[in-house]
Amino acid sequence: MIDFEHVTKIYETQNDENVALEDVNIHIDEGEFVFILGHSGAGKSTFLKLIQMEEKPTEGRILLNGQDLTRIKRRKVPYLRRQMGVVFQDFRLIPTMTVYENVAFAMRVTNINNKTIKNRVPYALSLVGLEDKMDRLPEELSGGEQQRVAVARALAHGPKMIIADEPTGNIDPELSMDIMQLFEAINKVHITVVVVTHEHELVNQLAPKNNNRVITLEHGHVASDTAHPEVAQEYEEWLAGRTEDLAYTEE
Amino acid sequence: MRFSSFTYLVGQGLHNLRANKMMTFASMGVLTVCMVLVGAAFMFGANVSAMVDYIGEQNQTVAFMDKGLSEEDFSAADAAIRSIPHVAAVEYISEDEMLAQYSEKLSGYTNLQEMFQNDNPLHANYVVRADDAANIGSIAAALEQVPGVIRVNSVTDVSDLFVSLRRAVNYICYGLVAVLALVSVVVISNTIKITVFNRRKEIGIMKLVGATNSFIRFPFFVEGVTSGLVSAAVASGVVCGAYYALCRWYAQNPSSLSMLLGGTLVPLENLWYYIVIGFALFGFVLCGIGTATSIRKHLKV
Repeated sequence: MIDFEHVTKIYETQNDENVALEDVNIHIDEGEFVFILGHSGAGKSTFLKLIQMEEKPTEGRILLNGQDLTRIKRRKVPYLRRQMGVVFQDFRLIPTMTVYENVAFAMRVTNINNKTIKNRVPYALSLVGLEDKMDRLPEELSGGEQQRVAVARALAHGPKMIIADEPTGNIDPELSMDIMQLFEAINKVHITVVVVTHEHELVNQLAPKNNNRVITLEHGHVASDTAHPEVAQEYEEWLAGRTEDLAYTEE
Repeated sequence: MRFSSFTYLVGQGLHNLRANKMMTFASMGVLTVCMVLVGAAFMFGANVSAMVDYIGEQNQTVAFMDKGLSEEDFSAADAAIRSIPHVAAVEYISEDEMLAQYSEKLSGYTNLQEMFQNDNPLHANYVVRADDAANIGSIAAALEQVPGVIRVNSVTDVSDLFVSLRRAVNYICYGLVAVLALVSVVVISNTIKITVFNRRKEIGIMKLVGATNSFIRFPFFVEGVTSGLVSAAVASGVVCGAYYALCRWYAQNPSSLSMLLGGTLVPLENLWYYIVIGFALFGFVLCGIGTATSIRKHLKV
């Protein structure tokens, strides 16, 4: 599904360069439920931007269903984005559209016909328990409800993969579990789910229970991966080497 | 693109027009004013041209021939006159014909035919018509150079005035159209820029859920083109209505000057389609350009 092969991303500013990701290798299979865990600055946002094709890697390549994202034409980018549904941290609902329209609009964009839209929008909203609030505007809903609209929108056009950016960041802690259960349910129907978060506690609580894979990012590297325990060892070695280097330069 | 997508996008464009009422109103107002000015300039130009044409048709430059020219001299002069550039028609009137014409006019008083039977004082002449009033002067000058021509009568003063008036009007019209076209592009592209700016978040979201550039651009295009076409319709109505009223007033209030210039204005039937089609094209093309130039920047996500 998603393949990161020796991906390095360096942001160049005027007099400095910032290494956001360095030699990252991640392979996520279809139907997996994966947490990408990391503190701010660990490279999570860069990871997301690369998947969504907002940025291109400086080195290495990224494959989405076998297609190399680094060699794709600009014109093709919209079609690749349609293969995934993204739930943004700030939801990004359109304030002037009703709940129904917000979901319908994401489907129109992907060229789905009216009849399918009319059938599928209420269905998607019923999956997240909001079928009775279709005609409300986003601002009339609570944060948790807005997020569920965002989930419905991400699901509506039938993507193979859902990516959630800090899904618990903007809602009440009590609702965190609800939304995570929703993602578990989505994953049950063989949709790949990638949850990007900085909340260790939440992940530690959920992942063992549901046997989810957890990939930890630190300093732009993969620090651990529950599916590949050997990665942690490699990271420790790199970290030790780096500390030595730093000590050497200080001397 | 699916038909349902097409109707949806057109609907979105029209919705935007309503959502940005004030901007739409302001830009349509400016566009309409621009078009009315262009239309007025066009109508004025068309009438000045028609008047100059009328004068051109009325023009008769008369070249009087010397008496007693030999056969060869005469045919040489005839050929020379007929070969002057821009001569549309030449009519030869011989001495006898002149006499006949005059005696007919004065038939109630005297018998000229009899009086001058052997001693005709009238000169044979050529009545020359120019193809355009602008060429009367050069034809008159050329006629004076032809051997055997003793005098040339023409109306160069009046025709010169109108020819230069026509030229000036044409230049002013071209300039006006160019300036107003530029103003219209700026107005439309600013309006669209503001709508795009107001909706930049929405555009960003659309891009991230996989909208193609053309899908995003289309409603804005509909918005721009619709305001262009509506302005064109309003401006056509105003210009044609006002012109119709002017034609009627002109016909009902004849003056010596208007009689000299043909008595009527160019009828609306001959002009309205230039106005309507011209405005529609003006609105469509300029608004299309205005839209295309204003959203490019926001599509790079």
